[in-house]
Amino acid sequence: MSYYFTILSPTDTPIFNIAFGTSKGGGDGIARFRFPDTAQYMNQFIIHSSLDILEEAQWTNGGMYLKHIDTYPPAAAYISAFLTPSGARFLLLHQPPQLPTSGSSSVLGGSSLLGSSGSTTRASSSSVAANPTSPQTEEAVRQFMNEVYESYVKTAMSPFYKQGMEIRSPVFRTKITAAGKKWL
Amino acid sequence: MTSPGDGTPVKPPPSFSPGVARNVSKSRYPDESETTTSLDAELAEAHTGSSPTSPLPAATAELPIRSASPQSRSGRSSTPQLARSSIGSPFDGRSEGSEDIRSLIIRAFSPTVAVYASDDTDALVRNKGFKGGFWDLIRPFGETISGKVVIRDSIGSSRAWEDYGVRFVNLKGYGRDAGWDSSLGQMEEVLEKQLNSGEFALGGPISAKDVLGVPATTPLCKLYLRQLLSSTSATPHETFKHPVASVIAISSRNTAPLETLRQLYAESSTGEARLPDWIQQDYLRYYVLIHDEERDDITESTKLYDQMKRHFGLHCHLLRLRSSQCVVTDDDSTQVPQCEWLSPREHLSGVGEAETLVDLGTDGTPYLFDSDATAIKSFVRELMVQSVIPFMENRVAVWNDQVASRRRGISGRLAAVSRRWPFGSSSRSGIGSSGGNSGNYDSVQNFYAPESAEATLRKMADFAFMLRDWKLASSTYDMIRSDFGNDKAWKYHAGAHEMCAVSMLLNPLAMSAKIKLESVDQMFETACYSYLTRCSDAPHALRSLTLAVELLKSRGGSATETAARWAMRVMDFGLVESIGQILFMERVAACYASKTPATGAKWGARRRKAGMWSVLAADQWLKAGKPSLASSCLEEAERLYADDLEADGVFPMPEMQTFVDNLRHAVKVEYLEARGFNGQNETPTEDPIGTEEISEKLDKRSHRRSLIGLPAQLDAGNLKLNPGPTNAEEAPNDDFERA
Repeated sequence: MSYYFTILSPTDTPIFNIAFGTSKGGGDGIARFRFPDTAQYMNQFIIHSSLDILEEAQWTNGGMYLKHIDTYPPAAAYISAFLTPSGARFLLLHQPPQLPTSGSSSVLGGSSLLGSSGSTTRASSSSVAANPTSPQTEEAVRQFMNEVYESYVKTAMSPFYKQGMEIRSPVFRTKITAAGKKWL
Repeated sequence: MTSPGDGTPVKPPPSFSPGVARNVSKSRYPDESETTTSLDAELAEAHTGSSPTSPLPAATAELPIRSASPQSRSGRSSTPQLARSSIGSPFDGRSEGSEDIRSLIIRAFSPTVAVYASDDTDALVRNKGFKGGFWDLIRPFGETISGKVVIRDSIGSSRAWEDYGVRFVNLKGYGRDAGWDSSLGQMEEVLEKQLNSGEFALGGPISAKDVLGVPATTPLCKLYLRQLLSSTSATPHETFKHPVASVIAISSRNTAPLETLRQLYAESSTGEARLPDWIQQDYLRYYVLIHDEERDDITESTKLYDQMKRHFGLHCHLLRLRSSQCVVTDDDSTQVPQCEWLSPREHLSGVGEAETLVDLGTDGTPYLFDSDATAIKSFVRELMVQSVIPFMENRVAVWNDQVASRRRGISGRLAAVSRRWPFGSSSRSGIGSSGGNSGNYDSVQNFYAPESAEATLRKMADFAFMLRDWKLASSTYDMIRSDFGNDKAWKYHAGAHEMCAVSMLLNPLAMSAKIKLESVDQMFETACYSYLTRCSDAPHALRSLTLAVELLKSRGGSATETAARWAMRVMDFGLVESIGQILFMERVAACYASKTPATGAKWGARRRKAGMWSVLAADQWLKAGKPSLASSCLEEAERLYADDLEADGVFPMPEMQTFVDNLRHAVKVEYLEARGFNGQNETPTEDPIGTEEISEKLDKRSHRRSLIGLPAQLDAGNLKLNPGPTNAEEAPNDDFERA
C-alpha cells in the first residue's frame, strides 16, 4: 500500500505533500506507486480531479472526515478526505500494491531487509492495507487524519505561519511520518 | 523566407491559436443568452444529419439544464472561451450530441431484409455499373427511408419516425461468413486508415466547425461506434441480423418469369440458399419485377406484373429501371448515397472508393439516373411501409398473444417456477411447448430450435426492439433472461441481459426512474460477465459496454458517472487496442464533462476529472503520433480546466503544471514537424496571430503563463524552439491505465 498525502489550502494550492508507504505487516515505509517514476504527476492529477467529488461531498456530509470519496479505477487509487473548519482539505491517496508485478518487486526489494519476505506479503495482504474500502481502513485513516489535524492546528497557530503558506516545518513532517507509521 | 502576407501561412493547431477562436466567442460574449442559442444553431447546422426528431426525450433532457444555465454561465464569467466548448458545455454536449448518438444506436438495430435476385436481374444491374448486382444497387437506399414511417406499438398507439432504415443483405452466402473473429483488429485498422487519410483534413485550414469547437475527434468516435455496431454477423442468440423478409427479384428479360420466381423461392426455403438451421424459416417473401425501360415493353411487363400479383398475393412490386449505365455528365444523374453501415471488412476492402469520393467527388462512385433513384426510393418505402413493418407488427401481436401472455399469466409463472423446482412432474405436461430444464436448448450446437418458446420470445422482443417499442421489448427480455440462465444458454443469457438494459435505457418514458439505474447496471454487469467469462466473446462484450457508456451518458445526471466507470472498465478489460483505448479515454472525458452542476450550485460538475482525462488522452495521441488530435484534446482540456484554475490559469500543483507545459510544448513541436516546418520558419507567419490575440485578451490575464500562454511566447518574435524540456516528457512510458 502506498500513500500520497496532500494538504490543500482553501484556494486549492497544495501547502504540504508527502508520499510514504505502509509500515504495517513488515512494510518498509517507502511508497511504491503503480505509475513509473516518470509519471508521478499522476498522483497530483488524481488528487486534483477528486476535488470535484470533494466539493460535492462536503455539502452533503456533516462530518469533518468524509471517508473514502473517490476512486481512480485504472490505477486503483482511492481518495479519502478530511475537512478543517478553516477550509483546508486533507486528501489521502492510497493505492494497494499491484499483486502480480509490483508485489514481487517489493518482495525483491524487501528481502534484503527482512528474512521471511514471503510471510510478510501474506500478512500484509490480510492487514488494513489490502482492502481500501473496508471499515478497518476507514477507521485507520480517520485516526491518521485526526492526528494530522492536531499537528496541523499546532503548526497553523505558530505566529510565523500565515494561512495559505506552504508548511515547511520539519517537525510537522516528522509528525506526519510518525502518524503514517502508526496508523497506516 | 515567407512574409506574413504571401503564400498560405501555416495555420497553427487549434490549441496554439486560441485567438482565432476567442475572437469569435469574445465578441459575442456580452449577450449571453443569444450567444448560446446562436452557437447552438450553428452547431446544429454544422452537424449534418444530426438531431433526428424524437421530441419527447429531447424535451425531457433539456428541461433541467435550461433552468440551470444562467447561474453556471455567470459563474464562469471570466472564461469567454467556454462559449465554444463542445463536450464541455452542457448545451450542445447533450441536446445535440447525445440525440445524435441515440439515433445512431437506434438505427443500428434496423430490420434486415435479404435480397435474392435471379441471374438475369443481376446481369441487368451489373450493366448499370453495380458489381454486386441488385443487392448492391438498393442497399444504400435502405439506410434511410424517405418520409415518415408510422409504427404502431403493442398498445395500439402509433408513432412516426423519420430516421427509419432497413439493412439489405445478400441471401447468397448469408450466414456463412466467418463472423467476428478478427473484426476487432479490423476495426482498429479502419480507424488507423481513417486517421491517416483524415490527417490532411485536420491539418488543413481550420474550418468554421473547428473554430466553433466541434472537436475533430467526435466523428472518429462515431465512426468507431458505427463500426462496432455494424460488425456483428448473424448469430443464433440474437435475431437482429436474421432476415425479416426476403426480396425475390426477376427482370423483364426473363423468359420464364413465374417459374423462375417459384424456383427462387424453393431455393431460398429448401435449396442451396437455405438459411442456417437456427434461423426461423417462415419470413416474408416479397416479389419484385424489374422492368427494363429501354429494351422491353411496359405493357408486357404490366401484364406479367398482374399475373404475379394473382399468383403471389399483394407483396409484389414493379420496379422500372433504365438498363444503361449512367455517367456524371448525363443530364439527370444523381450520386448514389454512401453506405453508412459498412462492416469493418467492407471498409477495408472498399475504403479506396470512399477516398476518391471525398477528394474529387467524381470518380469511383456510381451514378444513377434521377428517375431510377426515385423509383428505388419509392420501392424501398413501399416494401417497408406496406409489407415488412405490418408483417412485423402482426408477428409481434401474434406472439405476444400466443406465447408471451401464456408466460406472463399466473399459470405461466407457476409453470416457470415448477420447472425450476420440480415439485411434481404432473404440472410439467400442462405447459405445452416449453418443456423442462434445457428442454429446448441444444447444448451441443448451442442454440434453441427456432420454433421453441424461448427463441420465439427472443425474436418477438427483437422485433419489438426494431419497431422501437422499447417498453414491450424490455419487458419481454426481462421475462426470458432468467430462463436462459436456467438452461445455461450463456450467450442467450448475456444477450437478453444486454438488450434488456439497452431497451430500458432507450425507453423515453422510463427516463426518470432512478432506482432502475442500479438494475440496469446489474444487467450490464451480468451481460458482460456472461459474454466475457462464459463465452469469451470479446466483441459482443465490447458492444454491450459501449452501448452502456453511450446510453448512460445520454441520460445525464448521475448516470454519466456510471458511464465513465463503464468506459474505464472497457479499458481495464483490454477489449480495445491502442486507438480504441485513446478513444475511450476521450469518452470518459466526455462523460464527465457532460455532468452538469446541481441547480444554482457551483459544485456537482466533473470538470477537473474531464480535464484530466482529456490531458491524458492528449498524451496518448501524442505517443501514437497524432499531434493534431493531441492538440485538440489539449484544447478541450483547457476549456474544461478554465473554470477551476482561477484568473492566471496555472495549476496549483507544480508537477501537474510541468507535465502540462511539457506536453503542450511537445505537441506543438511534433505538430510543426509533421507539417514540415521548423521553429525558425514558423515564427513570422505566426506572429500576427499572436499579437492580435494578445491585444484581445488583455484584461486581467495577460500574464497567464500556462494554459493559453504559448502564443504569448511566440509573440516575442524571435523565439527559438527549444526542445530541451520536451525530451524528458516524450519518453516516459507510463502505464497509468493499467490497473
